[in-house]
Amino acid sequence: MSIRNKAAIVGIGETPTDRLGSKPGEPRKSSAEYISWAMRLALEDAGLSLKDFQGQGLGVTIPTAYPQPFWPEEVAEILGITPGFLLGGATGGAGAVSLLGGMAAAITSGLIDIALVCGSAAPFSEHWGGGIQPGDMRDWEIPYGTMGPNSKIAMVMRRYMHEYGATLDHFGKIAVAGRYHASLNPLAYLRKPITVQDYKESRLVADPVRLLDCVMPANGGRAYILASPERAKTLRKKPIYLKGFGERSNPSYGPRAGSDALVMGVKDAGKVAMEMADVKHGDINFLQLYDDYIIVVYLQIEDLGFCAKGDVSFYERTDFTFKGHLPIQTGGGMINVGQPSTAGGTLHIIEAVRQLRGEGGERQVPNAKTGLVSGLGVLPYGKNLGCCAVAVLGSEA
Amino acid sequence: MAEVDVRKPLPAITTEAKPFWDGAAQNKLVMQLCKDCGAWVWTPRPLCNECGSERIEWTPMSGKGEIYSFTVIRQVVGRAASQAFQPDIPYVIAWVDLDEGPRMITNIVNCPVENVRLGMKVFVVFDQASKDVWLPKFKPV
Repeated sequence: MSIRNKAAIVGIGETPTDRLGSKPGEPRKSSAEYISWAMRLALEDAGLSLKDFQGQGLGVTIPTAYPQPFWPEEVAEILGITPGFLLGGATGGAGAVSLLGGMAAAITSGLIDIALVCGSAAPFSEHWGGGIQPGDMRDWEIPYGTMGPNSKIAMVMRRYMHEYGATLDHFGKIAVAGRYHASLNPLAYLRKPITVQDYKESRLVADPVRLLDCVMPANGGRAYILASPERAKTLRKKPIYLKGFGERSNPSYGPRAGSDALVMGVKDAGKVAMEMADVKHGDINFLQLYDDYIIVVYLQIEDLGFCAKGDVSFYERTDFTFKGHLPIQTGGGMINVGQPSTAGGTLHIIEAVRQLRGEGGERQVPNAKTGLVSGLGVLPYGKNLGCCAVAVLGSEA
Repeated sequence: MAEVDVRKPLPAITTEAKPFWDGAAQNKLVMQLCKDCGAWVWTPRPLCNECGSERIEWTPMSGKGEIYSFTVIRQVVGRAASQAFQPDIPYVIAWVDLDEGPRMITNIVNCPVENVRLGMKVFVVFDQASKDVWLPKFKPV
């Protein structure tokens, strides 16, 4: 049994992002407020009401550093519903894409007919104690003075440049394409177009990682609604089908104690998803790739098989804009729209749905029928990202 | 203003990891080697994470390795960052691949920051961080 075409996205909701609370005296909205807002937008989009979700699916991405483990249940209380199937998205930034698979499986099995998936975070307005939890980070990283994920991704980027000869021009091209799309997206936070020179001259954060390599944290909420195809056909918007799904958590390429840190788990997750969807690379009209850093977008393109590993010339000759041969990050990605913790990754699903519905506005990819979305989470000790989920979405079953 | 904690964070010495820290206190680098499949197990674990065997033994390492990659820390940032590292800036965080295979996150010491290179051969040194904790760091050979 496959989950191919057994569930469709029927509603999307995205709040604007903000950084309220970063300055004294600014109003402070809560995570609850952002999640309710995103949920209302998704319900309105689908033409559904909360009572449609009684006894149905609720999925909630679990933010990093949130102090209590029962957040998904609390979200049900905030929304005032009693789900019959409650899932926490526990794969970090991959959570929203992982939940596509989990909820589609629950729908395919007949356990539920419809599911609301939502997430939010308000890192600037809600300040939690930053205690370090037990694990590799506490015992084997922090004592050396590592400074969060920037330190680790910087080592991936430097090694990649060393092994394959990629330069700041290659990475800059991706940053510029993303910002160009953001300039056409009214919901993007960073909308002023940039040049490759701007990228190269941006402040060094963790050498060779620069400010314009990094995702921007923000307050915000995001949601989508998944339904069985039968239910989807009765609703307001054109159903966008989940055609393929693959996930690899804790991938390792080589010995676990010292694996190849330049290969990402999307290599296998993407293969599984594309085989399930029965699509080839040439069938895919756009990519919405999880983007905590530019290097991560870059690596995914090659690990998903759109070019050979280390083929830097592919990046030189490919137009990544919505008008080009391989459009990526058509709404600007999290880097430009903002990352409300692990709810951030929901953005890529929402943008894919817009494109496949033909709601892309000024940045619409012509004749978009099939798109690929990825979610990534966790930077484990000594490795590349630890949770990798890939979905293939399409406008036709 | 809350008091700023200026002590550097220390690892918890769990029963699982104690042989590692006991070794480090005697300036010896030891890691777990699986007696069934021959894999190195790192960081310390109750089972071999290649084959699931419980027959894993603490084994001396050569202390030799090479820099797989590195970054230079020039500012204290992030939620979990400790201000205690401020006086050390700039300093190097590196992935060192030991000759035997395992990759460690560590610091490169006894070397000007601008001289650190990928592929540089390094050797372990032990830096006392508390009464019980000696952190293995690496210096150029």
